[in-house]
Amino acid sequence: MTDALLKMCDITKSFPGVLALDNVALEVASGEIHGLVGENGAGKSTIIKVLAGVYKADAGTVEIDGHVLPDVTPRSVHDAGVRFIHQELHLVQHFTVTESVFMGQEEQTLLGLSTRAMRQKAEAFFETALGTEMSGNTLIRDLGIAERKLVQIARALIDNQAKLVVFDEPTAPLTSGETDKLFTAIRKLKEQGIAMIYVSHYLAEITGICDRVTVLRNGQNAGRFDEVFDDSAPAMISAMVGREIDELFPKTEHTPAAPRFEVTDLSAEKFEDVSFTIHRNEIVGVAGLVGSGREDLIDTIYGLAKPRSGTMKIDGVAQKFRAPADAVGAGIALVPRDRRHDGLVLDMSVSDNINLAALDTVSRGTLENRRAANAVATDMSETLDIRPRNIAATLRLLSGGNQQKVVLGRWLNKGADIFILDEPTVGVDVGAKVEIYQHIENLAQDGVSVLVSSSDPGELIGLCDRILVMLRGKIVAEVSTTDLGVDELVALTTGGATQEAVS
Amino acid sequence: MTLQSIFARFGLVIIIVMFFSFFSYISPVFLTFDNQVNIVEASAIVLILALGMTLVVAMGGIDLSIGIAFDFGAAFAVVALKDFGAAWYIACLVGVMGGALVGLLNAFLIVILKISPFMATLGTFFVGSSVERVFTNGGGPISYRRMPQEYRDLAVGDVFGIPTEVVIAAVVCLVYFIALERSIFGKRIHAIGLQKDAANVAGIPVRRYMFIAFILASATCAIGGLIGSANIRMFTPLAGFSYLLDAIAAVFIGAAIHPKGRPNVIGTMVGVLFLGMIGNGLNLMGLDFNLKAALSGLILVGALALAVAQQRLR
Repeated sequence: MTDALLKMCDITKSFPGVLALDNVALEVASGEIHGLVGENGAGKSTIIKVLAGVYKADAGTVEIDGHVLPDVTPRSVHDAGVRFIHQELHLVQHFTVTESVFMGQEEQTLLGLSTRAMRQKAEAFFETALGTEMSGNTLIRDLGIAERKLVQIARALIDNQAKLVVFDEPTAPLTSGETDKLFTAIRKLKEQGIAMIYVSHYLAEITGICDRVTVLRNGQNAGRFDEVFDDSAPAMISAMVGREIDELFPKTEHTPAAPRFEVTDLSAEKFEDVSFTIHRNEIVGVAGLVGSGREDLIDTIYGLAKPRSGTMKIDGVAQKFRAPADAVGAGIALVPRDRRHDGLVLDMSVSDNINLAALDTVSRGTLENRRAANAVATDMSETLDIRPRNIAATLRLLSGGNQQKVVLGRWLNKGADIFILDEPTVGVDVGAKVEIYQHIENLAQDGVSVLVSSSDPGELIGLCDRILVMLRGKIVAEVSTTDLGVDELVALTTGGATQEAVS
Repeated sequence: MTLQSIFARFGLVIIIVMFFSFFSYISPVFLTFDNQVNIVEASAIVLILALGMTLVVAMGGIDLSIGIAFDFGAAFAVVALKDFGAAWYIACLVGVMGGALVGLLNAFLIVILKISPFMATLGTFFVGSSVERVFTNGGGPISYRRMPQEYRDLAVGDVFGIPTEVVIAAVVCLVYFIALERSIFGKRIHAIGLQKDAANVAGIPVRRYMFIAFILASATCAIGGLIGSANIRMFTPLAGFSYLLDAIAAVFIGAAIHPKGRPNVIGTMVGVLFLGMIGNGLNLMGLDFNLKAALSGLILVGALALAVAQQRLR
C-alpha cells in the first residue's frame, strides 16, 4: 500500500442551494479495499458520481495511476480501469448469465456471435476471478440476489482491464447468509491485486473487510482510519455523526395513555415477527437502514402491501387492510416517503390536494361544494403557513417543505387517530422542518398516536418517545430516547453494537 | 404576448374558426340552419361514445372496445324486441345492460387481472367481434322492420322539434359534465388519472372506481348502439368500430384545448362537433369524403403538438 492508485483532491461540488462536497479528498492505494462511510446526505454518492463522470466537479482533480484525468467522463474513467457496481442490478430477467455478462460487449466472428466461446469465458471468469461456480446457461430470473450481484460484477470486470472497482451498497438487498458469497468474491478480487472502494452503511461489514476507511460528514472529510480493527465502529460513528442534536425539536414529555394501535407478529416479504404497540399521546420512531424492512413495514401497516401473517388491532379491534382506503377508514393517515409520487397529485391545486381524502365533507350530496372546499383549504394554508398563500396554485410549483405541509394538511383536515409519517422531512428546508416537527408534536398533545419512520437518527431522537430499531427485517431493539445518543442509535441500526459477525 | 404564444394558447380555437369561416365562404349551404342541425344530429352518436371514452381517458386508461359496447347495446335491444317481444323501454334497458357486460369484462381484465387497459380492451375488441360474427352466422345483420314506433323514435323522432338523438346526447353530456367536472366522483376519477399511486395513498378506493368507470363507459356506448339500431331498424355486426377513432380523436382534441391539458366533457363536445363539421364541410364541397380521415388525423396531431407547446409556455 505504498503508491496511490486513485487520488481525488479538493473536490468541490455544489447544487443550487446546497454545497454537496466541500474540498473533499479521497485516496485509494492499489490493491486495498477502501471503505467510504457517512450518514445520508454526507456526500458519499456525490463523490462516487464525480468519480464516475456523472457529475462534473466545480473544482478539484482526479488522478489515476499518477496521471491527472484532464476530463472526467464516464468514458475516460472506464478507460482508466475504474468499474462501478451500482446498487441497482439492471439485469434483464430473461437473459442467460452469459448474455448478461457480455451484454453490450458481445464477442463475434464473421460467422456471428461466438456464443460458445463467450459462455466458456464467462464460466471460467466466475471460477477463477470470483471463486464461484456458475452455469452460463442459467436464466437471471432463476438466480438469487447474491448470484445476480456476482453476474453484475462479472459483467463489469470480464474484460480484465479493471484496476479499481467501486461497490455502492452492495449488500443492501442481501440477507446475511447471502453476503458471504459476495465477500468471498471481493476477497478473491483483492488477491488479484484489484483495488476497491466499498460504500456501505453497515459498519460491521466495513470493519470486517476494509483496509482503510474514509469518513464523510456534511460534504466534508471527517476523518480517515488508516488501520481498521473489529472495534473501530464506535470511533467511526462519532466521526460520522459529529454533532449534537440541535434545538430543532419542541420535545416535551408525553404521558402515553391507553394503547391504541397494536401490531403482533406481523410478517411480510421483507420483514418478520414485528410486534409493537403505540399508545395515545405517543410518538414512536422506527429506525433502520435502507433494506432493513422499515419501508415495507410502513407499506404493510397502511395496506399498500400484503402481510404474510400477524395481526393488527386498533383499540382492541382486529383490522385487515386490503387497500389504503381500508386503513384510512380505520383512522390511519400516511405521509409517504415519496411525496412527489405517492403523496400528492402534482397537477392538482393546493385546494384539491388538501380536500382529496375528505371530499365527502365538502359536498352537497355527491356534488362538490367548491366554496366549502376552498374555505377548508384557505384555513389549512393559514394554519400551516403554506406558501404561496394561493389555494389554486398547482402543487408542482411549490417547494418541498410546502408540498409536505399540504400532505400534512390533508390528513389534519381528514382527522385521523393514527398518523404514520415516513421520512417526513426529506427534501424539506430547515425552517419548514421546525414547523413540521411542531405540528407532529401538537398531534401527540391532542391524543393522536404517531409513528415516525426516518433515516435521520437525530430527528428520531429529537421527536420520539421511543424508537424501534430494525435490522435485516427484524426489530432488534426498542429503546427509550431519554439520554439516547445519536451514535448509540446509529450503532444499533448498523449492527455495529450487536457485533454482528462478518465472515 | 408574442404571436407565437398567442397561437400556442389559442391555436386550436383559431383553427376551428378558420375552418368554420372557410366552409361558410366556400359553400352557400354550410351556414344554413338546416345544415348546422345536420352537423349536430350526425354528431350525436359519436358524442355519446366519446363521452364514455372521456371518462376512461380521464382516469388514465383507454377503451378500444367502445365499438363492441355499441354493437352489444344494439344487438341486445333488437333481439329483445324481435325474439322476446319486449316493450321498447325494456329493450333499451336490456341493451344498456348488454353494453355493461362488455365493460364488466374490461373491468375484470384490468382491475382483477391487472392487464393494461390498452391490451385488455384490445382483447375485448377481438373477442367481441368474433362473438358478434358467430352469433350472426358470419356477420349478417339482424333486421326488424316492425319495431315499435317509440323505439324507432329514438333515432327519427323529435322532442319539441329537436331530434330525439340530439336530446339524448345532450342529456348524456349534461350527466357526464356533472359527474366528471362537478362531483366528488369526478374529482376522484381525475385524481386517479393524474396520479394513481397518490390517489391510492389518499384513501381513494382506486380499484373500485376503475371497475365502475369501465362499466359506466361501456353502458354509455350502448346508448349510442340503441340509437344506431333504431335508425336503420337492424343490428349490424361491427358497426360500432367506425366510431372508435373519431371518439379517441375528439377526447384528445378536447384535452388539448383544456387549459391544463385534461380530458374533459366540454372539450370532447367541441372535438366531436369539430370533426363533424370537417366531414360535413368536405361533403358540401363535393370533395372526397375519404379526405376527412386525413384532415382529422392532421388536426389531431396538430392539436396535440399545440398542447405540448402550451405546456412548455406555462
